Amino acid sequence: MTETPAPGNKPAEEPKELTAGPFGEFLREHGIASTRLPDSTGVETVLVEGKDLEAALKRLRNSQETELNYLVAVSGVEQADSFESVYHLWSYTNLKELVVKVRVAKSAVPEGKLPVVPSLANFWPAANWHERESYDLMGIRYSGHPYLRRILNPWDWEGHPLRRDYKQPVDSLNDKNPHSMR
Amino acid sequence: MTENQPTSTAPAMPDELKESVQLHNLDGLVEAMSNLISPVANWARSQSVWPLTFGTSCCAIEMMSVGMSAFDISRFGSEVFRGTPRQADLIITAGTITRKMAPALITLYEQLPEPKFVIAMGACTVTGGMFNDSYSVVQGVDRIIPVDVYLPGCPPRPEGILDALLKLQQKIRTQSLAERRRKMGQNRAIRHVDYDTGLPMDSLQANIEEAKSLAQEG
Ligand code: SF4
Repeated sequence: MTETPAPGNKPAEEPKELTAGPFGEFLREHGIASTRLPDSTGVETVLVEGKDLEAALKRLRNSQETELNYLVAVSGVEQADSFESVYHLWSYTNLKELVVKVRVAKSAVPEGKLPVVPSLANFWPAANWHERESYDLMGIRYSGHPYLRRILNPWDWEGHPLRRDYKQPVDSLNDKNPHSMR
Repeated sequence: MTENQPTSTAPAMPDELKESVQLHNLDGLVEAMSNLISPVANWARSQSVWPLTFGTSCCAIEMMSVGMSAFDISRFGSEVFRGTPRQADLIITAGTITRKMAPALITLYEQLPEPKFVIAMGACTVTGGMFNDSYSVVQGVDRIIPVDVYLPGCPPRPEGILDALLKLQQKIRTQSLAERRRKMGQNRAIRHVDYDTGLPMDSLQANIEEAKSLAQEG
């Protein structure tokens, strides 16, 4: 029975348990556990374990049913308590889109180490440079990447500039003019 | 040998160059004749400032536009965009200079033969512009090479580039040859900032002195 909340007395928004979407169902049929996340701009978003990532993406790419064979982007995200690696997939045959996320909790990252996510570059070469960029700017280590080096910053850069706690040392290329107003 | 040299404030010729550079007598001559030669030589120089094809981002589009027939920079003698710094007189730093590009720009500047000029084109190269406080952008190209004319705008209109060029020509015409010659040493030692450490050269020098004195004590 559906309760009708009294007007002006709305219940607090409970985070609903989202039911798996079509791609989530597909993954479950192939024995891969996934959690549905709130849609990102109307696109189904699923969270998978790092160890299942390769199997999941291989299935999604190769199966005739899904044919998500275009890897649009790999990006790194730093949330308050976790790092995420985000894969945007697109199918030109079915005109379908899917976002896959892998999450590494900050508490699971040892002090002074980088969060580790398995690399796709060996079976999906398009991921190669994306992963290098994500490593360079966000500091996510993609294990198994054939050439995980900085791609945008100079090779001897220290730190990962898009991290929340990144502070650039002041040197004479970026110090402030004492007379400037900024 | 040092007595009969023209008095100048320029840094002394480094020892390793003394063998190859033997222009001291000519220097004196130029110094004496400077007032006569300068107007002619400067007029010639100012009418054929050849820019280097150096564009790193959006400002370069305006630089290309100024080379085309609508704006026609060749009216002022600068139509010959050279692909190598060895044949150019002028760098128009058209575009954002990132920290990764900085060493390349320094190298290009050092490869330009004297006399060399720089127009800092666009807000990015004047102060860092909209990349103010960005981690990757050099906050003003005058931190790494000396700039003759600052040309603000994002991007500056092609007319702005022509105006900057005319300003530069005026500057060249008012120069004195002897003065420029004296300052050549300063222009050459242009690396105010050591790129590898990001420290000013002065403080690096101080570090070296300090290390030396410590070594002597210890
Ligand atoms: S000043 Fe503006 S137009 Fe020029 S390079 Fe910078 S952002 Fe681009």
